[in-house]
Amino acid sequence: MAYKGSRILDRELKKGSAELLILSLVEDQPRHGYDIGSLIEQRSGGMLKFNVASLYPLLYRLEKRRWIQGRWVEKAGQRRRRYYRLTAEGKKVLAAQRNSWKEFVEAISHITGIKHA
Amino acid sequence: MPDWKDEIRKRLARLKLSPAREAEIVDELAQHLDDRYQQSLLGGATEKEAYQAARRELAASDVLARELSRVERSVLQDPVVPGAQRRKNMGEDVWQDLRYGLRMIIKNPAFTAIAVIALALGIGANSAIFSVVNTVLLQPLPYKDPDRLVMVWEDISAKGFPRDTPAAANYIDWRDQNQVFEGMAAMANESFNLTGAGDPERIDGRRVSASLFPLLGVEPYLGRAFSPEEDQPGGNKVVILSNGLWKRRFGADMNIVGKAFTFNGESVQVVGVMPPRFQFPSPEDELWVPIAFTNQQAASRGRHYLQVIARLKPGVSLPQARAEMDTIAARLKQQYPETNAYVGVAVVPLHEQLVGDVKPALLVLLGAVGFVLLVACANVANLLLARAAGRQKEIALRVALGASRWRLIRQFLTESVLLAALGGALGLLLAVVGLSVLKSFIPETISQAQAITIDTKVLLFTLGVSLLTGVIFGLAPAMQASNFNLNESLKEGGRDSSVGARGNRIRGLLVVTEVAVSLLLLIGAGLLINSFLRLRSVDPGFRAENLLTMKVVLPKLKYPEHAQRSAFYTEVTRRVEALPGVKSAAVTTNLPLYLQGNSITINFDGRPEPPPGQRPVVVTRVISPNYFTTMSMPLLAGRNINDQDKLELPAAVVISETMAKRFWPGEDPIGKRIVAGPLNSPPEEWMTVIGIVKDVRQFELVAEPKPQMYLSYQQASFFEPNDLVVKTSVDPVSLAATVRNAVWGVDKDQPVSNIRTMEEILSKSIARQRFTMLLLGIFAGVALLLAAVGIYGVMSYSLAQRTHEIGIRMALGAQRSHVLKLAVGQGLKLVLIGVAIGLAAAFGLTRVMKSLLFGVSATDPTTIFTISMLLVGVALLASYIPARRATKVDPLVALRYE
Repeated sequence: MAYKGSRILDRELKKGSAELLILSLVEDQPRHGYDIGSLIEQRSGGMLKFNVASLYPLLYRLEKRRWIQGRWVEKAGQRRRRYYRLTAEGKKVLAAQRNSWKEFVEAISHITGIKHA
Repeated sequence: MPDWKDEIRKRLARLKLSPAREAEIVDELAQHLDDRYQQSLLGGATEKEAYQAARRELAASDVLARELSRVERSVLQDPVVPGAQRRKNMGEDVWQDLRYGLRMIIKNPAFTAIAVIALALGIGANSAIFSVVNTVLLQPLPYKDPDRLVMVWEDISAKGFPRDTPAAANYIDWRDQNQVFEGMAAMANESFNLTGAGDPERIDGRRVSASLFPLLGVEPYLGRAFSPEEDQPGGNKVVILSNGLWKRRFGADMNIVGKAFTFNGESVQVVGVMPPRFQFPSPEDELWVPIAFTNQQAASRGRHYLQVIARLKPGVSLPQARAEMDTIAARLKQQYPETNAYVGVAVVPLHEQLVGDVKPALLVLLGAVGFVLLVACANVANLLLARAAGRQKEIALRVALGASRWRLIRQFLTESVLLAALGGALGLLLAVVGLSVLKSFIPETISQAQAITIDTKVLLFTLGVSLLTGVIFGLAPAMQASNFNLNESLKEGGRDSSVGARGNRIRGLLVVTEVAVSLLLLIGAGLLINSFLRLRSVDPGFRAENLLTMKVVLPKLKYPEHAQRSAFYTEVTRRVEALPGVKSAAVTTNLPLYLQGNSITINFDGRPEPPPGQRPVVVTRVISPNYFTTMSMPLLAGRNINDQDKLELPAAVVISETMAKRFWPGEDPIGKRIVAGPLNSPPEEWMTVIGIVKDVRQFELVAEPKPQMYLSYQQASFFEPNDLVVKTSVDPVSLAATVRNAVWGVDKDQPVSNIRTMEEILSKSIARQRFTMLLLGIFAGVALLLAAVGIYGVMSYSLAQRTHEIGIRMALGAQRSHVLKLAVGQGLKLVLIGVAIGLAAAFGLTRVMKSLLFGVSATDPTTIFTISMLLVGVALLASYIPARRATKVDPLVALRYE
């Protein structure tokens, strides 16, 4: 994060990968927005962070495209939360995006010589 | 914990989201920030740090709105000021109303089903009848400029024939002397025996002027029309086939033109085939040959047998044509006083000629279905009213939130139009099904009956009726709903007495309308049913049971001599009578109840000859001896015609009861002599009355019998028998083939056609009356059912509203019977008002049915009284059931009930 160049890369990568990240996270179980945001931050070791102003517009966009679907759920003793789950259409999109992401990463690796662990 | 909501709302403000959406986003985002805040605290941050961490999530003030603006659609909307604002976004409103209406429809399946079925019955009946009216009355005839085609008849009103078939010489004079017609053509009935290639067959056709087809403006489908040369004696060995005959008998042979076939024992060349569905003048006609008058025929003014059609010249009006033809007729009267003294001319537009008979019936039916729809509307309006009353809370809320009166009306109308549209769709389905059933009941005499379909016009009609219906039955509930006391309604459990009273008034009005309209329909149907029963019970003069009939027309070419023909019939009746299952058999020139037959004018022995044109006309039938036995016509006096009445003897004649009474009142006619010619006719032409037989209805059941006489086929050579009638001891239909084979046993080329039972003929002769009665009966039944349901609904509803009151009354000691009387009395009052209005309307409206009635006056008191009682009875029952239920209420429950 020290170089300006790495910050630009960070933003672009985030933009391009954000959809893929969200779709992946709601693939197995419905999650609410805070959960999604926290998981991205945790699993990326703090590399990727979404704030409210960027995460929710993205969620709404995915919902509008009918890739995910949000639903208010009230659990005993908790405030109601909006849970997002992957739709059938979302599943297809996720599969396709995973594929092209893999191809993209492989292509980049070839060129830059980065090896997978 | 800090409240984030204001902060978030501020950032969303410029997006102008719909309030609901905004609230949702605020909720979700605030939740997120709460979570973040809690998390930070758990991580050991101070409240201030936690607050700042959460605050950072919202980023710079414009980011959230910017990002969201790409996703969220803003709604143009000013803040809602209660009771004031008019919505600017009309499209959005309509869409919202539609969605809301659909939800209401889906949410109340029972209500929707009842309303839609009632509407579908009403709309379906209208669409079905309209498609009949559309095809039969409204659609132009399939000829060139059909408006200018007219039929021209001899008007012999003086003798009871306002539209008589013209004589050839008169037709020719009309044709040659007029200046008003572009062309004129004559036609005459003819039946043809087609032999060779398959079973011999009798085919109905016409002899027509060569000018007929160009006059109608119809081109043959194959070949050509007749040339003027072919319309001359000797040049007429040509024939044009109908499309149906061509397909049925000649396998749609494309090369048929030029081929020759044997018609009536003569070889005749086919010159053309007409297009499908061409039927002129009658649907039964299957072929046409040139009329080719011989000089003798062309000179005759005494034989009236033609039908004449003409085309008005452009610019000539009907009155002009009539005036000109009157002038010509007057001239002919002076020129030929012997024959034309009473002959005028009647010019009738072709369309009127073809539909004239059915028009009143169809219009009555169209009116009837209109009334059925009205009842259905009243019913659905009632349902909606009751429901609107149940929805007052909802309406109150809407008004409180700023919905305008107009906006509410619109919403209610949207719902009712949606219902009507559903009803219309189902109604159309009903119409399609109903029409296919209807078609089998439509009497064949209605022209174009088989062409009746649901076309664009019918679809538009249905759409229009549905929309109109929706507006009509939706208006009352909408007005009521939009007009009420907000405060009262919003109060929990508030009894809105003012609306209740007004609502009850409207509901009462609707019940009165339903009862009045149903009564009108029921009286109409009752009159028709009564007429029909009377028609059915008319004694035709013969017994139709176990009678088999068929046409056996002898070709003149093969049987030129009277003796040959007599021998044929003698042999045929002898063979048929020998068949097992046959009781007796006879031949006649015309069976009863066929709208045709011969009449002759007569003179009486010993009475002065009346002036020309005033000699009595007598329906004449030529029969074989067993005719009266076969038809079960009792002989009242004298003797029957028998085999001894041979050609060489003076002719014997059996006369009908009416003829005896008319011409020999108070005298015994037996032994009296009559003659078909002038008084100075030679002695061998005189006939002696030998017997009197009971009257038969010769032409129609509705027509009183005319004077009639019967002659032996052996003695009378001027008319040829062509109907064979067989009395059987078994089911007559089962003998059809056997009897036909017996005829073929005498002559294997002899066509036998129109095999029917006499009962079929009898029932067909009243097909039109049955059709009208059946339909009006069904419609009246539907109206009665709807009215009963309507009364039941209104009574149930209003009594349910009065549960509290009834409970108090009963708690205070009112007898159950007293409460019952009170409740039923309320229903009865409405019904009686409805009956009074319906009766008044019936006296005015049933007059239009006069021409459809038989033996019953349009204001027949028995029918009207019976029907009124029926309706009152049904209405009483419909209000008794809910009333009884109301009295069963436990006062305790009723008093607790709020």
